[in-house]
Amino acid sequence: MKFSEEELRQIALNAINELGEKASPELVKKIVAKAVDESQENVDLPKSETKVGFDRAILTSFGLDRPGVVAKITNLLFEANCSLQDISQKIMGDFYTIIMIVDLSSGKYQMKELDEKLQEIANEMNIKIFLQHENIFRQMHRI
Amino acid sequence: MNYEFDEILSTIKMTEIEHFDIRTVTLGISLLDCYDRNLDVAKQKVYDKIYKYGKNHVKYAKEVEDRYGISIANKRISITPISIPFAGLNRYEFIEMAKVLDKVAEDIGIDYLAGFSALVQKGFTNGDRELIEAIPIALSQTKRLCSSINIGTTKAGINMDAVNKVADLVKKTAELTKEQDSIGCAKFVVFMNAVEDNPFVAGAFHGVSEPEVVLNVGISGPGVVLDAIKSAGNVDLQTLSDVIKKTIFKITRAGELIGREVAEKHGIPFGIVDVSLAPTPAEGDSIADILKAMGVEDVGAPGTTAALAMLNDAVKKAGMMASNSVGGLSGAFIPVSEDQGMIAAVQKGNLSLEKLEAMTSVCSVGLDMIAIPGDTPASTIAGIIADEAAIGMVNDKTTAVRLIPAWGKKVGDVVDYGGLLGLAPIMEVRTISSQGFVSRGGKIPAPKRSLTN
Repeated sequence: MKFSEEELRQIALNAINELGEKASPELVKKIVAKAVDESQENVDLPKSETKVGFDRAILTSFGLDRPGVVAKITNLLFEANCSLQDISQKIMGDFYTIIMIVDLSSGKYQMKELDEKLQEIANEMNIKIFLQHENIFRQMHRI
Repeated sequence: MNYEFDEILSTIKMTEIEHFDIRTVTLGISLLDCYDRNLDVAKQKVYDKIYKYGKNHVKYAKEVEDRYGISIANKRISITPISIPFAGLNRYEFIEMAKVLDKVAEDIGIDYLAGFSALVQKGFTNGDRELIEAIPIALSQTKRLCSSINIGTTKAGINMDAVNKVADLVKKTAELTKEQDSIGCAKFVVFMNAVEDNPFVAGAFHGVSEPEVVLNVGISGPGVVLDAIKSAGNVDLQTLSDVIKKTIFKITRAGELIGREVAEKHGIPFGIVDVSLAPTPAEGDSIADILKAMGVEDVGAPGTTAALAMLNDAVKKAGMMASNSVGGLSGAFIPVSEDQGMIAAVQKGNLSLEKLEAMTSVCSVGLDMIAIPGDTPASTIAGIIADEAAIGMVNDKTTAVRLIPAWGKKVGDVVDYGGLLGLAPIMEVRTISSQGFVSRGGKIPAPKRSLTN
């Protein structure tokens, strides 16, 4: 992405020089593509790291109230090394709702993996769990 | 807690129940630097450039989907109108170029690439003429390529010679793709006042004043608006407008967030959010249902145009407030084949082509995805395009026509493309002739409102 035509040409020329006699159009193409790929990986890494500090998610759960719901969820968050920043709970008749704000920045899972694990609990306990990134809520409800 | 309980619930309801999704993230790529006097080199340049920028497009979009749990329905690419950088090609060379574009779209893993286009509102370059000849063949020999022609602007008037050429082009495309219910026509749009940053295919292209590469996002969400209107109950129209605005505001904000994240992953500038209500053939994802929820018995009933005007206006106002980068078409789309409610209204005989035309004067696009009898003469198609273009010209807005003169089909038949393109009942077209008017050729002069300086 960051390469100009000039730079690409330079990479190709270097490749041709290195290969010497063996240089063929396919080989050179492969080497240039590889160089571009590698540089892309390098470019992308620091970006995702800088984002990590903002990774908070909102976890919402509701269903039929039964013992152990909070324990199951928080236990998973503990295993995942995610810190719980806020929690609120309401009981309405037989039903409960829980909303948690979870900090994922130090966690060992990405959103998707954590969500998959949460869905396992949801299926097992027959409850609903939603995990969504905080940014969505901030965008939608705060100006 | 930073967020209220019902705020959180409303967001979850939108994404989990009401099918809120991002309709498209479209990567715009400039091909202005890809010309070469050797065609093979030019083809390679085009392939390489699109591949270079586009190869991670689907991957990045998926990552953002996973992070936010909001699905992105389509990942697409738009390019500089091909007749501009490649004005020197002849029709056969354009067809070869079309195949390269189709190939690179396939290799990247996207379903459509748009911009096999020309802007001829004031006249043709030699390249434009050759391209127009090449389009029917190119569309019949490719799968993922979409094409458009802009035949007029409020500033320039309507190029009727181009309208006539386009009408022939549509007929020819229908014939060349007759084996597949004239599907080629579903990939071709004729525009009045085309916009340069529209992310929605088939009419997307990357305008000449756009940056090297840019990411535009098209949001959607008829289901969300429908539910909001339904739960508002029997309120007066001002209150209803407010309900629509609040809903659109939220989805625009979310859409912009998603677009910016995808752009950031690419490391390219973010362009615009197109705040459009775009239906899909899925149940509950229908503009017709919104109009019905607003109170008309069916689409086509008197009052439909007023309801649509109000809906469209609320969408624009909320979008404008929600984001600094609103662009594209931004309004409600009323394609027939892609909207269950519209299809039903046509099949019940409640919605005619003329009523649809009236509706397009207050909404964002035009006569979209409308199948008409295969024996409709080119002059009648030219007449329909000219009418629609006149609405756009006088009202200083974009209008478009995507007609499918389905080969061998008559009123009462249907063409079924499946997927996003949906099912189109053949609509009746008046058989009185437009020949005498359209065949005069030349140009319809620009209207009074073009002189704004």
